[in-house]
Amino acid sequence: MANRLPWWMGGILMSGLLLLTFSIYGADRPIGASTYVPYVASLIFNLDPEKYSYIEHIKSSGSWEGVMLLGVLFGGFITSVFITKSFRFSLIPSAWKRYKNNSVISRLLWSFFSGFIMIIGARLAGGCTSGHFMSGMSQMAISSMIFGTVVLLTLVITGKLFYNTKGDK
Amino acid sequence: MADIIFVTDEVNTTITDRVFTMVENVIHMEHGSVALVFLIGVIFGGIIQYTRVDKFEKIAGFSMLKDTIIPKMLFLTVGLTSIGLYFMIDAGQAHYHVKPIILQGLIIGGILFGISMAILGKCPGTGPVSIAEGRIDVLIGAIGGLLGGLVFTLYYDDFFKPLMGESLGKSILPDFFQGHEDMTALIFGVIVIIIAIVIPKLELFDEADLSQLSETQQPDKK
Repeated sequence: MANRLPWWMGGILMSGLLLLTFSIYGADRPIGASTYVPYVASLIFNLDPEKYSYIEHIKSSGSWEGVMLLGVLFGGFITSVFITKSFRFSLIPSAWKRYKNNSVISRLLWSFFSGFIMIIGARLAGGCTSGHFMSGMSQMAISSMIFGTVVLLTLVITGKLFYNTKGDK
Repeated sequence: MADIIFVTDEVNTTITDRVFTMVENVIHMEHGSVALVFLIGVIFGGIIQYTRVDKFEKIAGFSMLKDTIIPKMLFLTVGLTSIGLYFMIDAGQAHYHVKPIILQGLIIGGILFGISMAILGKCPGTGPVSIAEGRIDVLIGAIGGLLGGLVFTLYYDDFFKPLMGESLGKSILPDFFQGHEDMTALIFGVIVIIIAIVIPKLELFDEADLSQLSETQQPDKK
């Protein structure tokens, strides 16, 4: 079995999964993957939904995505162990060493910081790569096109400024 | 069972109770059975893992314009789905779930999201897949994310909601081409698929991953 799928196969399969999820025979809703984060945070920190309007607001999407998240963790684990053979513990990605630095502390601090602002950003915009880019643009939503454009531009500008890519072949 | 019932939260609950409440919420919603939602997650995680688009080298690599698998796969997914979904909705087989145009929220959120996606090299969908394959740095990122979610929840009413601004409605592209909606959907889908195909294919590989595979399985050694 091939150890990885080509991008076009991934696109076709992901499109099939999105259509199944959207259809009334599936879940009759889009796929999203950022509402679960504040919802799971409210479970961990035992926040009272009556005190915080946001939890009440995201309760149904957060629960749905929370159950999906359990599936994502399971699916990712099984695939990495049995198919792609990529399961291993690591602290620092190879390309970080190549284009940024060799410091584990630097990587972990930047990870923590970027994880923090990523969720603030996703919740301000009302979605992420899954909810806005994939599910939203598939509905030709103007909001998702605005989000997608801003993200693509900022991503590439940050990549140019943050990583040292000069002198690379 | 048309009405949605949420289990009321007691003050002294354990985390297990609260996770059970989450599952119960899904049971009472009309958005698929718990098994189906879990299965959607398994397939979602499986596709992301099997295509390796959760790799730092793919996402941060794209931000450095050294890898284009992410945009190629994303645009192909959007192009194919937009055509299929438009005609499914037309036939009553699916519904629109469009997010509102909250301009300030979209722009400020998009900027924060773009910056963090380049640095973390993950997004909230691909991050859990990386954690499942043993990436400790991403787990630290997820802890940061949970605290971000906590801060957002705590200061939603006072700070974040006013920051987002007012909704300008939930328009979709065909709304601007009245009378030609079908054609708009088709043209949009086809253009997005063409974009996916014409983006030049660049790949940045992770030596640490490749070394675990046999010579013939390594994708860059043809």
